[in-house]
Parts: sequence; C-alpha cells; structure tokens
Amino acid sequence: MKNGMTALASAVALGLGLSGAVQAQSDRILIGVQVPTTGSEATYGQDMYNAAELAAEELNAEGGVLGMDIELINGDSACDPQQSVNAAGNLVSRGVQGIVGGYCSGATMPTLKVYGDEGLPFVITASNSTQLIPANPGNAFMINSTGADQSKKAVDFFESQGVERLAIIDQGDSYSQDLADLTADRWESMGHEVVRETVNKGEQDFSAVVSNVRSNDVDAVFWTAYYADGGLLIRQLRQGGYRDTIAVGDGSNSPQLFEIAGGAAEGVYAFSNPTAEFLPAAASFIENYRAEYDQDPGPYAPLNYDGLKLLAWAMEKAGTTDPAAVVEALGTADGESWLTGPISFTDENTLARSNFIILEGEDGAWTYFEN
Amino acid sequence: MIDRLYAYFDSPRRQTILLIAIVVLMALAPLVMGRYMTTIMTNALLYVVLALGLNVVVGYAGLLDLGYAAFFAVGAYSIGILTVQFDWNFWLAIPPALVAACIAGVIIGGPTLRLRSDYLAIVTLGFGEIVRFGARNLEITGRATGLSNIPEPNFFGYVISSYVDFYYIFLLLAIVAVIASHRLYHSRLGRAWLYVRHDEDAAEAMGINRVRVKLAAYVTGSVFGAFGGIFFAANLGAISPESFSFEQSVLVLMAVILGGMGKIPGVILGAFIIILGPELLRNLGELRLLLFAVVMLLIMLLRPSGIWPERRH
Repeated sequence: MKNGMTALASAVALGLGLSGAVQAQSDRILIGVQVPTTGSEATYGQDMYNAAELAAEELNAEGGVLGMDIELINGDSACDPQQSVNAAGNLVSRGVQGIVGGYCSGATMPTLKVYGDEGLPFVITASNSTQLIPANPGNAFMINSTGADQSKKAVDFFESQGVERLAIIDQGDSYSQDLADLTADRWESMGHEVVRETVNKGEQDFSAVVSNVRSNDVDAVFWTAYYADGGLLIRQLRQGGYRDTIAVGDGSNSPQLFEIAGGAAEGVYAFSNPTAEFLPAAASFIENYRAEYDQDPGPYAPLNYDGLKLLAWAMEKAGTTDPAAVVEALGTADGESWLTGPISFTDENTLARSNFIILEGEDGAWTYFEN
Repeated sequence: MIDRLYAYFDSPRRQTILLIAIVVLMALAPLVMGRYMTTIMTNALLYVVLALGLNVVVGYAGLLDLGYAAFFAVGAYSIGILTVQFDWNFWLAIPPALVAACIAGVIIGGPTLRLRSDYLAIVTLGFGEIVRFGARNLEITGRATGLSNIPEPNFFGYVISSYVDFYYIFLLLAIVAVIASHRLYHSRLGRAWLYVRHDEDAAEAMGINRVRVKLAAYVTGSVFGAFGGIFFAANLGAISPESFSFEQSVLVLMAVILGGMGKIPGVILGAFIIILGPELLRNLGELRLLLFAVVMLLIMLLRPSGIWPERRH
C-alpha cells in the first residue's frame, strides 16, 4: 500500500510540475483547444486537434503571431458537459488568451459562461445548435453554419434554379422536421408555394408521396432527413416519372445514398458542411494533413483549422492579445477568404454567409457543385 | 500502518474532530483556491453526494445498481422541465423533483425485488438506459440537445450564480449527505439493510419486511441522486442526455467500490479520488486516463476491499 500511495503522490506531483512549467513561459501565446480527445467522439476530436496543430505549426513557421509563437493546450471536453466545464476552468487557469474548438453543442453550452466571465475570445468551430446563440455572452463566435443557415442556403439554391412550387419532405424527427419547417417558412415568406409531406421512418413504399408530388406539379423536391430512406424515395420518385430537381439535406450527403438509390441519384443535389475533400482551397491542407498525420482530415478539421487561423488573424489585427480587443477584432471579420469560405459575423456572432456547400451526384459519387 | 491510522480514526470522538477540521478547511478553501480548483472541488463534492446515495443502495442494502445516473437524471430533468418549460421558481420545483425521484426509485425497486446479483445489475443497467433514451427522444426534455437557460436560483434576493456560490451549495449538500448517511447507518432501517444484505431469507424470517426495506434503499438512494441532479442542473445552467450516460453510473459506482463499500469516509475519499485524479493529471494530455487507470489498478491490487473499507462486525 505504501507503493500505491507513493505512485499516487508522484503522479500528482508530476501533473502539478508540468502545469507549472507551462505557466512559466510568457513569450508565447497560449490558445486552448476545447475538443473531445477522449470518449465516444474522440476520433473527430483528435482530428480537430490535429487540424489546429497544423494551423499553429504553419503560423509559427511564418514567424508566429505578434512575433510570438502559438502554443496549444488541449482542453479535453470528452463531449460531456461536466468534463468540458472542468476543461474550460483548467484552460482559463493556465492563462490561455483564446479558445478554439467546441464540439458537441451540449458540452459547449456550459463553457460559454466560463469563458464569458473572463471575456476570452472563443471561436466555436463545430457546435452549431441554435440554442448556443441566446446563451452567448458576446465573446464567442460560431463559424459553423446552423440549421437556419442550411435552410437559407437551400432557399437560395431553389431560387437560383427558378423553382416556384417546392415539395418539402421530412421524416417526423426533430432534425428533419426543424430543417423542413425553417425552409418552408422562408420559402413561403418569399411568396412561393410549398407542398409539405411527412413520411414514417423505415417506410418502404413511397407511392402516395410520389403521386402527390406528381399531381401537384412541383418544380423541386427537398428531402430533409437521412440517406437510408432518402435513397429509396429518390429511386421511387424517378421510377414514378418525376424528372425535375431533387435536393437532399446534410443528413443525406453520405456516399451510401448511391448504393441505395443507384442511378436515380445522378443529378441529385446535396447540401453539406464544408468537408475538406470538396473545398477547392483545401488541396494543400489535405496534402499537409496527410503528410503529418498519415490519415485523411475528418469533417470538422477544416473548420477548426480556420478557427485557429481566424483567432490569430484577430490578434494580429488587434495588435495585442488583450481579450476585449481580440473579441472586438473578431467581430470585424469581413469576408476574408478562408479554407471553408469567407467569414463575417451577424449581430449574434454567427456566420453571416453560410459555409454550406452544394454537391451534385455524378457517376455514383458526390462532386463539388458550388459554394 | 494505514489500517492502524484508520483504526485510530474509527473512534467517534476523533472522527468528529477530524470531520469538523475538514469542514472548516473546506469552507475556507475557496479563499486560496483559484477558479479551476474550486470548479473541480465542486464537482468532487457533487460526486460525494452521489456516491453516498449509491452507497445506501449498494453498500448498505447490497443491491448492485448499474443505472444510478437515472436518479441523477430524474432530478436534473425535473428541475429543467419545471423551470424552463413551465417557468416555475427554482425552489418550488425542488419538491416535485424529489417526488419524481421517489417514484423513479419505486419503479426501479418494484420489479427488481425478486432479482439478485447479476440479474439485478442488468435490469438496473437497462433502467438507466431507458431514462437516458427517454430524455433523448422526448419533446419536453429537449431531445438530443437537452434543456438550456435553466435560471440561476434566487435565494431571498441573492442570486446564486458564481462558481464560489455553487461550491458552498455543494459543500452544504455533501455535509447533509454525510450526516444523513451516518444517521441512516445507525438507524433501525440501517440495521435492517445490513441483515438483508447478509442473508435475505434469514432477515425475512426474523420479521424484516424485505420489500419495504429494499424499496426504502432505492428511494433513499434516488433522493440523494436527485438532490445532486437538481443543483447540478442549476450549476451548469444546461443539461443534455450525455451527462447521464452509463459511464456516469459506473463512475459513481467506482467511487463507492474504490473507497470502500458501506464506509462513509471511504466513499468520500473514493469520490475525491475519482474526480480529482483525472483532473490533476489533465496536464499530461492523452496519457492522463491511462495513468489514472494504472493508479486505480494499483489501489485495487493493494487494497482489494477499498481504500477505507468497512470493518467486519
């Protein structure tokens, strides 16, 4: 038992010792990366951390920020609200000058207050629940698009296609229904017509929906739910003789859609988060990422990469790491072009221009259609 | 050597002195601790409450419960629903939350009365998952995103909001939980739990109402859990289903077993180790959980019945 106690004591001492070492360096800019590097979401979390690390290395190689090197501190949120609050407290007490990350909206939510109390700039790169918006004390900036953004993107797209009567089909769950509601409201407010349909999850026969779509003579169909049922619906729509535009939401942008829908998915449009493989500007990012980590960047890597670069940009612009000045500088971000597209913010500190991209089905795979 | 130290503190008078000294130290601690230390100490105190609650079920009554997070969730969600969806006052919402937890305790206790050991563990595990999936899918619990903007409690005009306020709230809760645990242990009910734990049939033959005693254990445990959940929700201001996962149940159970089942100081120690361990190792980055696991393995190897186990009577 003496050994046990000694082991515990030395582990504690080691932990404390390391924290002391980090705090001693003041010629560096400390930035916290709050992502889940343990737990169920660790794959995405590690991936996001890698992307931030890559961005930091690039910045440091170019001479750093304000002449200082950037040093990252991992704040493991474990996708758990409690752990993320602990992580946030830890980052704050270690003197970070800004925070990048935020994955799992539920875990990001309670940390808003922690950073808000200190007034630290917080660039939220993945969490995109609209519930985060009212809870934001003003120091946090969301650079991932929300559901409202997707509906806006969809409406813009249908407008550009000259659609007048739009059929919106959801699956009755919270995610697909929200997206359908938001899109329908927006579409109607622009003076267009909406045909709403709801199908049950796991339904095999969509003939009622297909005949309704046909008899209403709609110009486009928007499927807001997931790929499994979406694939079947697309196939049956085409078999039923429907020839006009079909678009699907980001729950259906999986490559699996092609396995289910087969040839019917050719020419189908999908709205998607900016994943690296479809971003025109990300070619060198993918290459560097592969070289460094020997794997492909995941779906949120480009956003986290941008998050760190954006924070660094704001520090340069403010000419100081003073939190209030950096927060103010972040608010003035005005359309500068980043990996995931231009970033500027609304009054609520959300993306002014959604970064959703549009993909098109071609030869059994998704290809980039437009930003 | 450690055992002699424990034996020294087993005398009630010394224990009282030790406890008072600890409470005074803890009460003064926020004056010197920074934000981070205060936050994790608050967390540790929450786990003291939860672990003492589970200790009633597992340690006192000997009913292995793998779904304890469900009671915690019922408390947190009741407060969340009443204050956010129905705009109730925080303090007024506490009694209904406790009633809800009692009902949850009876619901889990009722069907499992006949079950023992492994089978009981599996059913309680299922119960924990049912509650979590329910919260994940119901409209009223905010589905997967959970509930946010839970109002900060207003105590006669004083808004409880800073992390130091919540530290004291949880310190108070932990003290109450310790006193309640202590009183329960020495009560008639506590004795009955002891007998049921050792031999159910013999206990029943001696005139102990097995059904009532077991249900009482679940209900007591769930009330402790609910208290933890209520103030957990108020502290974070937002709750989501991820907070009430199976891992949460296991973590609390680990605190009980690591510290020493049935022994109040042991359980408190266990809760502190479980929470402070990974946090103090946080600066090691990815290695922290591995190192923590090694430390726990060492503890279990060197002290198989817990750090501060109950003495056999």
